[in-house]
Amino acid sequence: MADQGAADPGNNNNNKPEASEGTIIKVTVKTPKDKEEIAIAEDASVTQFKEEISRRFKAKQDQLVLIFAGKILKDGDSLSQHGIKDGLTVHLVIKTAHKAGDGGSTSASSSTSTQAGSTSTSSPPTNPSSTTGSTGSAPPPTQTPNILTGFGDLAGLAGLGMGSANFMELQQQMQRQLMSNPEMLSQIMENPLVQNMMSNPDLMRQMIMANPQMQQLMERNPEISHMLNNPELMRQTMELARNPAMMQEMMRNQDRALSNLESIPGGYNALRRMYTDIQEPMFSAAREQFGSNPFSALGGTSESGAQPSRTENREPLPNPWGPPNSSNPSESGAASTGSTSTTGGTNPSVSNPLGINPGSLGNGMFNSPGMQSLLQQISENPQLMQNMLSAPYMRSMMQSLAQNPELASQVLMNNPLFAGNPQLQEQFRAQLPIFLQQMQNPEALSVMTNPRAMQALMQIQQGLQTLQTEAPGLMPSLMTGGIPGIPTGGGLPAENPASSPNVFPFILFLQTQTPEVRFQSQLDQLNAMGFINREANLQALIATGGDINAAIERLLGSQPS
Amino acid sequence: CYTCVVSLHSLRMSIKFPRSFRLLEELEEGQKGGGDGTVSWGLADDDDMTLTHWNGMIIGPAKTVYDGRIYSLKIDCGTRYPEHPPHVRFVNKINLTGVNSSNGVVDIKSVTALSRWKNSYNIRMVLQELRQHMMMKENNRLSQPPEGQVYSN
Repeated sequence: MADQGAADPGNNNNNKPEASEGTIIKVTVKTPKDKEEIAIAEDASVTQFKEEISRRFKAKQDQLVLIFAGKILKDGDSLSQHGIKDGLTVHLVIKTAHKAGDGGSTSASSSTSTQAGSTSTSSPPTNPSSTTGSTGSAPPPTQTPNILTGFGDLAGLAGLGMGSANFMELQQQMQRQLMSNPEMLSQIMENPLVQNMMSNPDLMRQMIMANPQMQQLMERNPEISHMLNNPELMRQTMELARNPAMMQEMMRNQDRALSNLESIPGGYNALRRMYTDIQEPMFSAAREQFGSNPFSALGGTSESGAQPSRTENREPLPNPWGPPNSSNPSESGAASTGSTSTTGGTNPSVSNPLGINPGSLGNGMFNSPGMQSLLQQISENPQLMQNMLSAPYMRSMMQSLAQNPELASQVLMNNPLFAGNPQLQEQFRAQLPIFLQQMQNPEALSVMTNPRAMQALMQIQQGLQTLQTEAPGLMPSLMTGGIPGIPTGGGLPAENPASSPNVFPFILFLQTQTPEVRFQSQLDQLNAMGFINREANLQALIATGGDINAAIERLLGSQPS
Repeated sequence: CYTCVVSLHSLRMSIKFPRSFRLLEELEEGQKGGGDGTVSWGLADDDDMTLTHWNGMIIGPAKTVYDGRIYSLKIDCGTRYPEHPPHVRFVNKINLTGVNSSNGVVDIKSVTALSRWKNSYNIRMVLQELRQHMMMKENNRLSQPPEGQVYSN
């Protein structure tokens, strides 16, 4: 490190490649009165840096005291050792002989932070410029789509009945929908039920507490529990949730701000690790819920690119805030890792934490992997269900839905689950009132919390699937007519005297997964291709799990023509 | 219920960030020379992923006994930061009201920024506040220990 990178004091844009190893970086040197940009080799020592500074500031080297990030730079150190990079600022104090250093002046003289106003004093959500992450209300906006999704998913709730574990999927689905349909969103937001729920921080907290994963998270990160216990924050969150535009703004700000933060030497690591630390359990929870491969059942949706990007994005990426990173060209090292995650999918950004790729979500998402794991989760987490269902708002919501079948049906129709399947919609609409009653039935609730009952239901589902495989033509008729009959015939343990009506919602739910439904689009495609043997098509699709190409091969294998 | 967990998930996401995000912002600002050049701050250890331990530096204000001195501080942002103020103590010995003369710990009540802490306050403000404190009449003439001495803890 013998070379001086900046041998030309008069030239700010000195890019002379004199430093053999390091590149030249520009470091701002700031005194309270003055500010200079000095070009220096990246690998220069503090001494060398001071030499340059003494020339520029016309002071003796031994009068110079350099401070960076709260540390005094010692002569023997190197700039890189302190993490001094291009574009950062070092403070300079020039000690004059009689102890009146240049650094002692009053404030406000050169309030020229190179950082454009990143102070976090007042944090009005209405400031969309630069990296103003509002402090107190910083957290809520990051999750705009998720929160909106959460409440938008109310629509899906009645349809699902059970909810619980598979939120991620549904959430994202709904999110996509909501993103593309702001009207629906505002409708939902205006729903007094939603507003009621949202305005009750206690409820929110309850809900959150009830989730075991959340509890785990809370153990690991006490700060989370603090946030939860902060009603003000909750309220802020909900306020923001009500205002989609505002939230989007904040989201963007946060993304941008966070992307800037990646470049900071220490901060980047910390950021990544903390993100990993916190996100990972959540993501693995999501992953569980998804099963190993949530989109394998997506049949017709050929967004294969999205799938790997999805799973990839859930890994603890070095650069969790992906694409926005590109807006910061000056940050080199840490930023470069950001490019890894752009495999065509949507990277998890702060605002889009699960890296949701709207294009990759399809109606098929409700297929068995998800739903099976859903039931599994339910059986594993009876407490979860219990807590969820006993939340008072749940009751009131059910009540209001029951009283207002119009609303309920509207809400349901918007559910992407039903979106592509008018058949289902019809069925569901017809059975809606009964369904809702079931949901209110405390028996139903207790069934949900009974792990054995859950397991039995799973057995039923499996039985149904077997049935479907064996006799695919049978199921559609079962769907339309014979639903209530099935549970009583099923192997439900007699824990619940009123088992039959209680199981109804689940069965109905299960119906949605008949291969016929699932593979509707594939069947259509096969039909269009000329495979008119519906039974055979269905069997092939079932056998291949919805993979059209494989199904075609199967079909061709059995009917060479 | 579905909604709960969805919103739970959302809130979970939003919740984990406040402290970290704030501290990272402050980290960035510190490295970009936030403030007016009279204070500086940064992570004590780049590998500190909890972003708890910080270094601070205050340049003694002119026309006071602190002029020409550079004071190093240790600042700890606990898990409840920014809801709760950080813990601050001087490394270099200083004679200043509100600073414990044996260990350099800053008494929260004596510094306005700390005593009436808001979660919108930050490390920079704490440092600037302390610097202002030095300029106050009651402080700016206090005789100081020789330069270079540090507290033993």
